[in-house]
Amino acid sequence: MRFVSSSLIYAGSHATRRDFVMLVGGAALSAVPAYAQRPQMPVIGYLGSETPDRYASRLAAFRNGLAEAGYFEGRNIAIEYRWAEGQYRRLPALAKELADRQVTVIVAPGGAEVALAAKAASSVIPIVFEMGGDPIIVGLVTSLSRPGGNLTGVSSLSVEVSRKRLEFMGEMFPSTKLFAFAVNPTSPTAETQLKNLQVAAGSLGLELLVLKASTEAELETLFTTAAQERAGGLVFSSDPYFAYRSPQLAVLAAQHRVAAITQSRDFPLAGGLMSYGGDFEQSHRHTGLYAGRILKGERPADLPVQRVTKVELCINLKAAKALGISFPPALLTSADLVIE
Amino acid sequence: MRQSVFKRLVAPRMSLFEKYFVALFAAVVLPLLIAGGSEAWLSYRDRRAGLNSLLDAEARAAASKIQDFMEGIRDQLGWTIQLPWSEEPDDKRKLDAFFLLRQVPAVFSITLLDGSGKERLFVSRIGLNRTESGEDYSASPAVQRAREERVWFGGVTFQRGSEPFMTIAVSGNRAAAGVAVAEVNLKFIWDVISAIKVGRTGTAFVLDRPGRLIAHPDISLVLRADDDATKPLQDLRTAILTRPGEAVAGRDVAGSMVLAAMAPIPGVGWSVVVQQPVAEAFGPIYAALWRTVGLLVIGTMFAAALAYWLTQRMVRPIHVLEDGVSRIGAGQFDHRIEIATGDEFERLAGRFNEMASELALSQERSERIGRLKRFLAPQVAELIDRRGDEHMLDGRRVEAVVVFCDLRGFTAFSTRTEPEAVIHLLGEYYDALERAATKHGGTLTNFTGDGAMVLVNAPVACPDPALSAAEIARDMQTNVQALLVGQRSRTHRLGFGVGLAMGPATVGRIGSEGRLDYTAIGSVVNLAARLCASAADGEILVDDNAARAIGARLPLTALEAQVFKGFDQPVLVFAVKLATTDADGLSLGLSPQPGAGQT
Repeated sequence: MRFVSSSLIYAGSHATRRDFVMLVGGAALSAVPAYAQRPQMPVIGYLGSETPDRYASRLAAFRNGLAEAGYFEGRNIAIEYRWAEGQYRRLPALAKELADRQVTVIVAPGGAEVALAAKAASSVIPIVFEMGGDPIIVGLVTSLSRPGGNLTGVSSLSVEVSRKRLEFMGEMFPSTKLFAFAVNPTSPTAETQLKNLQVAAGSLGLELLVLKASTEAELETLFTTAAQERAGGLVFSSDPYFAYRSPQLAVLAAQHRVAAITQSRDFPLAGGLMSYGGDFEQSHRHTGLYAGRILKGERPADLPVQRVTKVELCINLKAAKALGISFPPALLTSADLVIE
Repeated sequence: MRQSVFKRLVAPRMSLFEKYFVALFAAVVLPLLIAGGSEAWLSYRDRRAGLNSLLDAEARAAASKIQDFMEGIRDQLGWTIQLPWSEEPDDKRKLDAFFLLRQVPAVFSITLLDGSGKERLFVSRIGLNRTESGEDYSASPAVQRAREERVWFGGVTFQRGSEPFMTIAVSGNRAAAGVAVAEVNLKFIWDVISAIKVGRTGTAFVLDRPGRLIAHPDISLVLRADDDATKPLQDLRTAILTRPGEAVAGRDVAGSMVLAAMAPIPGVGWSVVVQQPVAEAFGPIYAALWRTVGLLVIGTMFAAALAYWLTQRMVRPIHVLEDGVSRIGAGQFDHRIEIATGDEFERLAGRFNEMASELALSQERSERIGRLKRFLAPQVAELIDRRGDEHMLDGRRVEAVVVFCDLRGFTAFSTRTEPEAVIHLLGEYYDALERAATKHGGTLTNFTGDGAMVLVNAPVACPDPALSAAEIARDMQTNVQALLVGQRSRTHRLGFGVGLAMGPATVGRIGSEGRLDYTAIGSVVNLAARLCASAADGEILVDDNAARAIGARLPLTALEAQVFKGFDQPVLVFAVKLATTDADGLSLGLSPQPGAGQT
């Protein structure tokens, strides 16, 4: 909650500064001949699956990346936002809107659903995606080094490391065999993740209790079921729907006294036990950089898909204390971020 | 006329400007050009030599940074294989491995093998960890080479065709300590390579032994793993290898010119190439060149301005001189050329002014001489002019000798003869008279038809006026008789008589503005006229005063006293005896006969 409100304040102050910049820019425009500047700023179409609040930290990272490439919103670049507000079905229509508006580049961050919706909307307008899984498996591109077509982007290793989350849970509860695994059945990567997890559980000698949730109402059921079934812990699959609801999940985990691990560091930051996944700050920053490079004239086909290889483990000691458990030394040693 | 003057003014002004400009340009710009050029060349040589060593040093520094990066990983791996393995699972080593992964982000996974080459532990960031799998790796090249050389760096592979990875294997001090094998993501060299700055915008990149791009500030170029795209970089390395110890100019991936040097990274067999844009590397020289160009432009403008100013300075007095000279040339002698430049021009103008005043003086004199010549003998006129004293023409009384002469039978002759012949004869006649008068200092005051009057001792004083007058009269007779010889053979007979008298007379200028004469008034004039009238052809009659003044110096014959109109007393008359042997004309019956004049 604290995170959200502070980002609102930031957005507000940013808006006033932007107004001022636009005012000055307008005055400058009227003073110089029309041909001195392009009549219109290039426009980025930003397709978000959630609300601006949930995207706030990602947006900040994206803007940092843009700034590194020399673009500043309102000064030399305009951004047109479309928010699906958690209803992923709306994504294709929103992507189409952006394509029809003939934006210079479409940025589709926050998961395979968003990227696929953008890809379906246009095969001409350059698209920069950001997702946790493998863009080849979900059918976005055919090669990482030469993506071809009008798409390129950034992928993190979040999806690939789902099994590591189960492993960490196993380390946490060495005497427990049963763990709950939460998947979002509507996610394009749900199946591969589930398969991976089952293989991993087999090799680790663990049992999986697969729970499904794709709406907010179903989220609570995850925790109640996990608690009822006496699962050692709840392992979340890598899915943006879960990742963007980290604060909510943290609250539910505390309520139901369930040890849980998700992909996003937002979860332990909001009071959850731990997280293991790709660094979204890096992946969104790189998305901004790529968008900037495309604005400068580079072709997406020439830009290889970047994999953000940094995977971070975050643990929350307070949450562990509240649950009456403690982290084994292996986890304490491996943790990149420890919240005390 | 005005146009030609204009042309004369404009054409030289241009050429003067050009001459000054060329001279000043040469004086100002040539030294600049030579100084700037030699400075640029020398600094280019220095800069080139400096760049060779600078880029070489940068390349070495970059190579050692990347070597540090690789050796850092090697050292970290070394920590995990300090002690020999026991048979039991080793939790301490597991923690070491976790710690290593946290410390070294580039390490993707680590495998620890015991002394026999069996896998005891595998820890990965992505895959599941394994403990005590016991798999035998003793035959793998990584283990064998690491055992031989302590450290083994494998070849670079591009995972999924994009990300460069490398295997590093390190063996422990003792064989029992085993071997640590790590998969390293070379993408992380980006942190090192992007931090290397050569000069302001220069960069570095790393190629492996076959020439594949491993590290570049633009990570996407590495991830493309496209040998065609990185061809210029390989070419750059090839070029450097052909000229060791020297920075080489070539093109980077963007096609812009760079200066590059290379250093090998020992152990891994890579090479790091540092490159700096040529524009930046030679920036100081370009700046010096631009400075020189700027100075040249300024110098040229300065030379032009100076030339223009000097030309203007020259042209103005020249124009004044030209104008003044043309005015003076047109006769405006009172014009003065005003130049106060204090130099040769002023002197020249002074000379011109002097010339003008002298011209004015000489014109005035020649005008006066012309005026006086009309009634004075030319010598007399020039004498007066030389003395500059016209007062000698003022009216006064002097003892003058007046000579009158005229032709006999001229009126009848003129009516019967063609006017041209008459005028021609008169012209010659006047000429003959004038010659005689001039020769002896007389002044021919006027002609009237066939007659003339000559004054002696006025206006010019004459020491012996009577004798001079007699000689004038004699010469007149000689000259005119010679002239008349040709005419006398015809039907009409022309004659010539002269009379002269001496006595006081009033002489002076008389006349109006337009007409000026010098004449004498007095009875002596009348007497001379009467004597002339009574003289026969070829006769010279002299009065008593003149005859007494002449004395015996000329042969005179006393004639009978004659009574003249206007004279109460009879006047004593003498005739000048003319030498008959002198001229043929006079011997022909012209011998003076006493009393002949009376007929």
